[in-house]
This record gives sequence, structure tokens and C-alpha cells, in this order.
Amino acid sequence: MSMISVKHLCKAYPNITPLKDINCEIERGEVISIIGPSGTGKSTLLRCINCLEHPTKGEIYVDGQNILAAGVDLNKVRQKMGMVFQQFNLFAHLMIIENVMLGATDLLGKTRQEAYDHGMELLESVGMAEKAFAYPDELSGGQKQRVAIARTLSMNPEIILFDEPTSALDPTMVGEVVSVIRSLKEKGMTMMIVTHEMKFARDISTRIFYMDQGLIYEDGTPEQIFGNPQKERTRIFIKQLKPYHADIKSQKFDFLGINSEIAQFMHKNLVPEHFRDASQRLFEELFMQCVLPHLPATFSAALDLGWSDRNLLLEFALRYDGPAYNPLTDTNNDELALLLVRKTAPELKHRYENGMNYLEVTLKTETK
Amino acid sequence: MKITKTQAGQTITYVVSGRLDTVTAPDLGKEIDAVTPDIKELVLDFDGLEYISSAGIRTVLTAQKKMNKQGVLKLRHVCPAVLDVFELTGFADILTIEK
Ligand SMILES: Nc1ncnc2c1ncn2[C@@H]1O[C@H](COP(=O)(O)OP(=O)(O)O)[C@@H](O)[C@H]1O
Ligand SMILES: [Mg+2]
Repeated sequence: MSMISVKHLCKAYPNITPLKDINCEIERGEVISIIGPSGTGKSTLLRCINCLEHPTKGEIYVDGQNILAAGVDLNKVRQKMGMVFQQFNLFAHLMIIENVMLGATDLLGKTRQEAYDHGMELLESVGMAEKAFAYPDELSGGQKQRVAIARTLSMNPEIILFDEPTSALDPTMVGEVVSVIRSLKEKGMTMMIVTHEMKFARDISTRIFYMDQGLIYEDGTPEQIFGNPQKERTRIFIKQLKPYHADIKSQKFDFLGINSEIAQFMHKNLVPEHFRDASQRLFEELFMQCVLPHLPATFSAALDLGWSDRNLLLEFALRYDGPAYNPLTDTNNDELALLLVRKTAPELKHRYENGMNYLEVTLKTETK
Repeated sequence: MKITKTQAGQTITYVVSGRLDTVTAPDLGKEIDAVTPDIKELVLDFDGLEYISSAGIRTVLTAQKKMNKQGVLKLRHVCPAVLDVFELTGFADILTIEK
């Protein structure tokens, strides 16, 4: 039985639907990192799982129990799941140890002595025993977050949900929090972690969920997601590319419009001019001259560009549906157009998958 | 793309600026088709032309073929980006590109 099972989860707000159709199964002991652009519903997903939000549709099972069913004891369900937030939410007027004891005495009904003993053990385990009698104000961000984790552990959770636990920290303090989370993994804790720390996600996770478009857009092992992401949006995110996207649906599409959007995109992102020329050239010679004449009146095609400041490279990807068609090997095509394509992008490759043609190349600085 | 035509005796000059691509090349093509046999010199002044596609090159080649029979074709004020394309395709050698 899965520890957490989410089926067709949808969460709609009046103006936006961050979660459209979320499905996942998480086993005991798994560590899931959730990554993706901001505003894609990562926090909303955690809040739904933790019953802080009520979903619009769908089902959530925790340890086999349907937590959305009528009559469920929400406090019991929440007790199984600890949540750690970006902001540590410690009570400023309570000492560190009191912060850690509070849940155990007030919610679990432990005696003060039991709560104290357990609390000290937990503070020890996160390296904060020395500060037990200090107040939150005396602690650094990294220390506060470690206390917040100890407080969560005081409720004996079976699952911990982390929402960007290191985002509010000075970079020098990320390490101490990360190592506490790592030690929880070694103890077999089931965890879901929303994070922007890619190296951390890569090192600690059993699986990565890439969220986008209201979905778990792509999931896989860290090796798969970071090493060989299958989908364009995942790739753009992982490689930190700035994206340009255009959908093309018919023979009468707005060629001039797309061309000027490409120019604007390049200008906005300060992309060197020869990348702009190369992109426009590939789009015109490849798509207009070679591919478009082979497509029906209406179709589904798209142009995606991704610019990396850091690596000074541009990913160019064209896709179109229909039967497999590789314009690069079709000798009926305009030879001048093909020559320009080859000169502009010698490494351009065609592939065909699930009814979709892909023409892809990474343009580097030296490419003319 | 913008085309401006001037004629002086048996010389016609087209100043072409903007982009010479799939969409605009046919317009220049029509102009060139209309050049009469008495014209001895055709000048394509690319001052302000920033981009040329395969369709644009074809139009230039058509002009070259036509003028081979009746006179000369000269390209003028070719910017580096456009010159690159003539060089990539190997046509820089057969066209008269004035510096
Ligand atoms: N209570 C709310 N009411 C209305 N819109 C909300 C609410 N909470 C979040 N949203 C919107 O839902 C989207 C997803 O938010 P969130 O889950 O916080 O994204 P992420 O954590 O991936 O950055 C955002 O557009 C956000 O503005
Ligand atoms: Mg969030």
C-alpha cells in the first residue's frame, strides 16, 4: 500500500486552477523533490495533502485512508504529516525547547517531562541542544529552521512535507539544514520537498516530480530528470533556459508575427545577434520552405527556443504532428534552403516519437 | 521590406532595405521581371537590408541570370550578415559584390 496516493486531484481558485489533474503514488521511505517554475501549484499540492486546503476534485489517500472522506478526523491525519515552511513560524515569546514541547503537551497529551525529554533528544539530533533555552531571536535562520524541523519531529510524523525549507536562508546556512534533512532520509522518513536547490534535489531524492501546467509534468529518478529529461519544458527548466514558445496551427499562420516575436525575445534577453539570425533562418528555411508544404491545411506544430545566459547556447526545437517526415533527407526540398539549414546547424537532428516529428539542435557561440 | 527604384539611362538601381525573405522576395522578383532588355546595368543596393533567406538569394540569382544576357548585375552596400549568407552558399564568387 502506498504511503500517499493522489488521484485526479484538482484545485481551482476563482481566477486560476493551479492543480488540474495530479496523480501520484508515494511509497514509505521515498524522498520526493518537487521542482518547477513558481506559481505552478507546488505549495498548493502540499497544502492539499496536509488538509490545509480542500481540493476541488479528486482523491487523496494517506496510509490507505481517504483523507477527504466525510467524518475523517483531520487532526489525526495532520498528526501523521509534519509540515516545514520557508518561514520558520517559531513562537518568539517561547524558548526553543518550549517551542519544541508545545505540540507534544497540547496535542499529543504528553506530560511536560516526557515532552521535555523527547524535545531535548530531538534538539540534540538537529545539533541545537545548546540553544534549548535561547529565544528564537537569538538564532540564525539556519538554526531556526533546524528547530522548526525538531518541532515537527516532536509530533512523531510518518511523513514530512517541506515547502522550500532553505529558500529564506542565507546561502551559507543552507548546508546545515540540508544535512538535517539528509539524516532524516537515512532514518527512513518519507518526505516530499518543494525546493529550488537543484543539487540538493538531485542528491537526496529517490524521485523528482517536475510540476508545470497544473500537472506532474514529468517524473523520474534524479538521473532521468536531470540527465535526460524527455519533455521540452522540463529541459528548459532544468537547464535554466529562457523560453520562447509559439504554436502554429495552420498554413495561414502569422510568419511575420513569429519572426518579430523571435527578434523581441532575443532583444529582451540580450542574445547575441547571430543567434537571432540563425533562429530566424532555421525557422524560415526549415519550417516555411521544407516542412510547411508537406503539412495539411490545419495541423499542430510549435517552435520552442531556449536561451542559456550561463552557457551562451540556444536550443532550437520545431515539432509537427502527422506521419514521420524528415525534411533533411528529402531531396525534393529546395536545395538552397537545405544548404542554409546545414550550414547554420550542422548538428540538427530529426526524430519521430508518438506521432510527433522533432527537429532539434543546440546552437553554440561559434555557430554562424 | 522597402524597395525604391531609380533609373538613369540604361541603369536601374533598386535600394532594398529590411528583410528579403519568403514573404517579401516575390515583390522584388516582380520588379526584376519587369526590367526591359535595353537595361545594361542593374544595381541592387542592399543598404539597410539586414536579412536574406534562400528565397531572397533565388531572386538575386534570377536577376543575375537575366543580366548575364543583357549586361551586368551589381550588389552594393551588402552588410556582413547578408554577405555571410552569400559566402555560406558559395554565391559570393559568382556575384559582383561591390565593397
Ligand atoms: N488562496 C489562494 N487564492 C487564490 N489563488 C491562489 C491561492 N493560493 C495560491 N493561489 C495561486 O495559485 C497558483 C499556484 O500557487 P502556489 O501553489 O503557491 O505555486 P508554487 O508553490 O508552485 O509557486 C498561483 O498563481 C497563486 O497565485
Ligand atoms: Mg510555493
